[in-house]
Amino acid sequence: MYTLALLNGGVGSRVAAGQPKQLIRVNHIPAMVYPLIAVDEIDEIDQIVLNYPDGWRDAIEKVVADYAIKTPITYAEAGATRHESVSKMLDLCSNDHVIVHETARPLVTADDFRQLIADEHENVSYMLDIPFTVAPVNPESRRVTGSLERSLLRNVQLPQKFRKQTLVDGHAYATAKDLTFTEDATLCAVAGADVFFLPGKDSNFKITTKTDVRLAGYLLAGDDEDE
Amino acid sequence: MSKTLMVTGASKGIGLATVERFFQADNDITDFVLLARASDEFTEAEAELRANNPHGKTLTCYQIDLFDRDAIEPLMTEIMERHGSVDLLVNNAGFTAPAPIHEIEFSDFERTIGVNLYAPFIIVQKLLHLGNQFDYIVNVASTAGITGRSGWLTYSSSKAALIAMSQVLKEELAIYGTRVVTISPGRCATALRRKLAPDEDPSTIMQPEDVAAAIDMLTSPVGRYVDSENLVVRL
Repeated sequence: MYTLALLNGGVGSRVAAGQPKQLIRVNHIPAMVYPLIAVDEIDEIDQIVLNYPDGWRDAIEKVVADYAIKTPITYAEAGATRHESVSKMLDLCSNDHVIVHETARPLVTADDFRQLIADEHENVSYMLDIPFTVAPVNPESRRVTGSLERSLLRNVQLPQKFRKQTLVDGHAYATAKDLTFTEDATLCAVAGADVFFLPGKDSNFKITTKTDVRLAGYLLAGDDEDE
Repeated sequence: MSKTLMVTGASKGIGLATVERFFQADNDITDFVLLARASDEFTEAEAELRANNPHGKTLTCYQIDLFDRDAIEPLMTEIMERHGSVDLLVNNAGFTAPAPIHEIEFSDFERTIGVNLYAPFIIVQKLLHLGNQFDYIVNVASTAGITGRSGWLTYSSSKAALIAMSQVLKEELAIYGTRVVTISPGRCATALRRKLAPDEDPSTIMQPEDVAAAIDMLTSPVGRYVDSENLVVRL
């Protein structure tokens, strides 16, 4: 069985001033509700660990109650950093396998979770081809320092699944080496674990701007399905 | 898989015709929950259904006045405890007291909105809060909600609001895969129609069984292709 660690702590200042990102609404429905409902129908996920920014627990619990989420939820206070948040959540995960997702990706589907769970490997992330060219640069001198082969690069997405101990070890490694990562697949890989990827979808994008919110709303409403 | 169907205003007219149509069919809807005010008609309808139950379906009748807001939520809790879920819901109960604006009693306007709009809202919201996930919800609106006629101010207003509410629910409940279907019958031979048009010969207009057949079609697989809009059925 799996625990879903649903990352929820970041304040989305770029999307709406003062509002935590998880309370950002897409089509007036809190963004966090979409992944919660998607997961609610998956039998293999029997626990959700949901973190909340300081002062927002009541608001988060009300959303969970209003939308009658059935999967048992354990609440975790968000840490000062992403590392700290994930570490706090891992302490509360009761299963040996953990799926990491973030509420800022509301277009994730139940089938995305099912496909991830069904993958033969234990540590797997959705990753997307990069359709554009990225270059290594020195930001200070603005000098281009080389080139990168984009066929060997991927856009890292969530959800991801890990053996819980792999995540624990990865975070311990990063702490010991004073390394900072913005997601866990590369963290675990750098720490020495075997991590694999599944092809992601461009629709499963992360909401980071007001335009993203509008685009997500458009797609979730099926407004692109008319002739 | 066995399904539970709940119909409001199930003692007569379109509500009862809908119950009878699904009750007599050999389908996966095996549990029937009927809501209506206490009346001889309701008692007789229940007795007739029990006497003619070829597929051994279960039937439970609950007496409620849907204008009594405080009674709806506890009843929904009881229904969820007894039946486990409400897979299919037909919001059919309707009230009207036709009068021109100069003569409308505000209490009649309140009752019309209470039964025709607030009750479906409270039923759906409470069942959602209780964790129910609907396969589909049918809201029985009316052509009166599209085109007003003299004397129908309260009724037309309530049905127009119900049509709008249905459009919103269709979008909001899509995340559960719930289909929200809106049907607007035109002239149909019901007790309510007799209030709206007392001089009309009911045998010359659409019958409740015809609307029930349209609801059957809307809730069938092919209904997916025609349920994107409020469906008008009229002679």
